[in-house]
Amino acid sequence: MKSLKQLLLALAVLAGSLGLNAAELNLFGWSEYVPQDVLDGFTKETGIKVNFETYASNEELLSKLVAGGGNYDLIQPSEYAAELMIRRKMLAPLDKAQIPNLKNVAPEFKGLAHDPKDEFTVPYMSGTVGIVVNTDKVKDSIRGYKDVFQAKFKDRLVVLDDNREIVTWALYTAGLPANEINAASLAKVRPIIAQWVKLVKVFDSGSPKTALINGDVDIGIVWSGEAALLWNEDKKFKYVLPAEGAHRFIDIFCIPADAPHKKEAHAFINYILRPDVSKIISRDFPYTNPNVEARKILSPEELANPASYPAGPAKLETFRDIGKAAADIDELMTDIKSAL
Amino acid sequence: MLAGTAPAVPVSDHNRPGWKAWALLAPMVLWLILFVVVPGLILLVYSFCERDEIGGVMFTFTWENYARVFDPVYLRIFGRSVWYAALTTAICAVVGYPVAYYIARVPETLRNKLLLLVMVPFWTSFLIRTFAWITILKQEGLLNSLVKAMGAGIGPFDLLYTPTAVVIGLVYAYLPFMILPIYGSAEKLDNSLIEAAYDLGASPVRAFSSVIVPLTMPGIAAGTLLVFVPAIGMFAITDLMGGAKVPMIGNVIQNQFLLARNWPFGAALGVVFMLMFVVTYVILQRRASRSA
Amino acid sequence: MADTDRPMIELRGVTKRFGGFTAVNRVSLTVKAGEFLTLLGPSGCGKTTLLRLLAGFEMPDEGMVLLDGEDVSHVPPYRRSVNQVFQSYALFPHLTVRENVGFGLRMQQVPVAEASDRIVAALRMVSLVEQADKYPHQMSGGQRQRVALARAIVPRPKVLLLDEPLSALDAKLRHGMQLELKRLQRKLGMTFVFVTHDQEEALTMSDRIAVINKGRIEQLGNASEIYHRPRTAFTADFIGQANLLESSVVGRNGTTARVRLETGLELVIARAELPDAASKALVSIRPEKIHISRAPVTAENVFQARIEEEIFQGATDSLQLVTDQGTRLHALVANESATQEAFHEGDTVYCSLHLDDLVIVQAE
Ligand SMILES: Nc1ncnc2c1ncn2[C@@H]1O[C@H](COP(=O)(O)OP(=O)(O)OP(=O)(O)O)[C@@H](O)[C@H]1O
Ligand SMILES: [Mg+2]
Repeated sequence: MKSLKQLLLALAVLAGSLGLNAAELNLFGWSEYVPQDVLDGFTKETGIKVNFETYASNEELLSKLVAGGGNYDLIQPSEYAAELMIRRKMLAPLDKAQIPNLKNVAPEFKGLAHDPKDEFTVPYMSGTVGIVVNTDKVKDSIRGYKDVFQAKFKDRLVVLDDNREIVTWALYTAGLPANEINAASLAKVRPIIAQWVKLVKVFDSGSPKTALINGDVDIGIVWSGEAALLWNEDKKFKYVLPAEGAHRFIDIFCIPADAPHKKEAHAFINYILRPDVSKIISRDFPYTNPNVEARKILSPEELANPASYPAGPAKLETFRDIGKAAADIDELMTDIKSAL
Repeated sequence: MLAGTAPAVPVSDHNRPGWKAWALLAPMVLWLILFVVVPGLILLVYSFCERDEIGGVMFTFTWENYARVFDPVYLRIFGRSVWYAALTTAICAVVGYPVAYYIARVPETLRNKLLLLVMVPFWTSFLIRTFAWITILKQEGLLNSLVKAMGAGIGPFDLLYTPTAVVIGLVYAYLPFMILPIYGSAEKLDNSLIEAAYDLGASPVRAFSSVIVPLTMPGIAAGTLLVFVPAIGMFAITDLMGGAKVPMIGNVIQNQFLLARNWPFGAALGVVFMLMFVVTYVILQRRASRSA
Repeated sequence: MADTDRPMIELRGVTKRFGGFTAVNRVSLTVKAGEFLTLLGPSGCGKTTLLRLLAGFEMPDEGMVLLDGEDVSHVPPYRRSVNQVFQSYALFPHLTVRENVGFGLRMQQVPVAEASDRIVAALRMVSLVEQADKYPHQMSGGQRQRVALARAIVPRPKVLLLDEPLSALDAKLRHGMQLELKRLQRKLGMTFVFVTHDQEEALTMSDRIAVINKGRIEQLGNASEIYHRPRTAFTADFIGQANLLESSVVGRNGTTARVRLETGLELVIARAELPDAASKALVSIRPEKIHISRAPVTAENVFQARIEEEIFQGATDSLQLVTDQGTRLHALVANESATQEAFHEGDTVYCSLHLDDLVIVQAE
């Protein structure tokens, strides 16, 4: 293994001396989360070629990093995966001198639990997981998980196909802390979840809005960005933050410790923090933009989208790394679903 | 009686490939070793390992993963996957047999056109075709609009995200793999054998069951294998058309690698799955060679 | 031999077309119960099609097929008491010999005990009892042929159809099977319709022969009639060999008539053969009916000829003759003992033709 790495390194040095290695960035990000315009714009301005590879979940990202597959320069985990990577010393500290646009980040996105000193991470987009209601079909007032999972809505629900999310909602419903997951708390939420899954028609994390648009379901618990797109499509789709509590996720950019092109990675982070670039991201993926300067140039409609910028007080929490409990969650959910 | 006595020449000597044959086979053998044998061995090794907190593989020996495979939860999922795959195979056989048989019996020019039609779906990506089915089956989709337009007063049918949708998707995806091998053996079927059956008093039904089916058994067996085994492991259709409600063994394996960060357990499931494939293959092969 | 005159098969004006092509053209034919009838004709003349009409694999476009007095024109094959021995045998490869032979009985739902007795009896008849548990691919061509035969006979059909069943066998085996088949048919008293394009086979085996040409029956009769009194040039030429001589009628008297060939050679023929109004006649003479001698003989139709070519053929000598007038004839003479002086090329000989051996045939 080691000799292979040395060989690759030697090759890289050789290629670099020949001027082949000049400008490249291996970006490993979420599928459908970075606009093509942004990638093209970056290459055009800097001459740095972007090799873009995608994943569909934090776990997939972790798997690939642990397996040591790619030579990634820049990755885009959510906060709890980043926390784990920081703890495992898998990330390189940022050189803030290379990122002058860091000043654009809103103060409430600084010094968060996963990276208290902002040493390793920069927020990209933030969002919540909340309830979308097709108000043409559903006249009841829906305020929380309890209102969603009612017998009368059987086979009219779409929820994220994400085991940790579902368990978290059940923990909120049971009044338990969302980030302290153990055998006892899982045992408590088990009957709740067993009730819930029977009512769900579709589990979908990739594109939960599809089932709502197609009219196959009337209520969903989805990413806020999906809800914002639904609202743009038709104002009948109303977004509600669950009263019991909701997950706020922060997707961030960070640089793996062994990234071969750290300079290019810094350049890219600085580029996407520019207000005009950040505006493009908001246009395509209407999540909550942590960039204050960018928010100033967003249109009033964008800012008025209740899913992107939810109003009112709500109990929002980010996920923390839960270690081996992830496997327990998977086992619990497989067990419950297989009994359907 | 000369007939039936074995030839005195040792046959095996003729069949043993020489170095030239090996040279010709080398790329194929290399390919198999690299992409089948090596990954298989890695899977086997992983399946006896433990995982660490972040999802890495720790090379300490354990039986635990296999013990977990035989946990009732996973057995139930295995059982359900087998049931769906069996149902899919049966429907594919019932639907595909007449099609394959018909294609094999029409004049050659038409035959090639029909075969092309069977294969046309492969020109489009599998996911796109699955999304097309979603458009057909959804609540406000093609099928329900059609039923509504006919004004029969029934519907709309709740098809998408149901087990029915999963089976429709599976049958659709695997039907060509049933049709093609059956076509292969039906095409070789000598028409005079069917006529001989009629001649000896077999009605069309009896001729079908006692002559045509046994003689096309190799095709049916190959088709069954080609449909059944991949259908067990299929996960995209369960997710997209079944609403990811009921996990199949394919979903569980996929989850171990991509979500639960439990490669060793995923590997153990994969190994058991491969063993099932081998067992099915051996059984079908036995049966086919007995009937041929 | 037909033991009664009851008609077993009757074809009435049967026509079968494939697209624009007429494969069987208004064929009428009666086969008596217990008769061995052979359909003889060149390749593509419609023999198989005719047989398939009898078996029920083809339905006639026109006309009627009667089986034992019953109209079966549109009855499917599995409801006709007619079985066939296929040209390629068509044995079921997935069944043993015993199962192949028993197939028809199984379809008729004959009780197992009875069926197994009948199967053994049939296998004994074709001397294959020992091979009962083999599969077809483990057997020789001749054995397969006999399995096919046993399989077709066992359900006791009213008619057995055989489509060139011996064509795949070598000459010797074939000859043995011809005799065996004939013996079997006599023993069973079953009606056989046998297809061949081998005239010798037809002549040896049949009670009657139907000569088929281009979808029509050219002539129907027993072997001797067909051979000695061919009605058409086609039959004369197809069965055995014939010298066909075009001639014009130059005179008639009492029981004979005189014809002149194009070369000027004149021959005397039987008057009865000649239609009253005819001014032209096509005369057929078989090569072995040309009598040849070195010394002059006194008989009708004597003329001199030169031997242009002589080919030794074992039992016979084949001679190409040219008469003084220039008529070419093909003759066959028996080879007598080796000591006797043979005919040689260049010899001049005397030929004589018997009145009865000169047959008037219709041109095509
Ligand atoms: N299914 C068919 N479609 C079209 N033409 C056919 C069909 N079956 C037979 N024919 C034609 O009818 C004619 C008679 O065919 P048939 O098979 O009866 O000949 P046959 O006398 O048995 O010849 P052979 O001695 O070669 O077996 C042939 O010209 C053949 O091409
Ligand atoms: Mg034929």
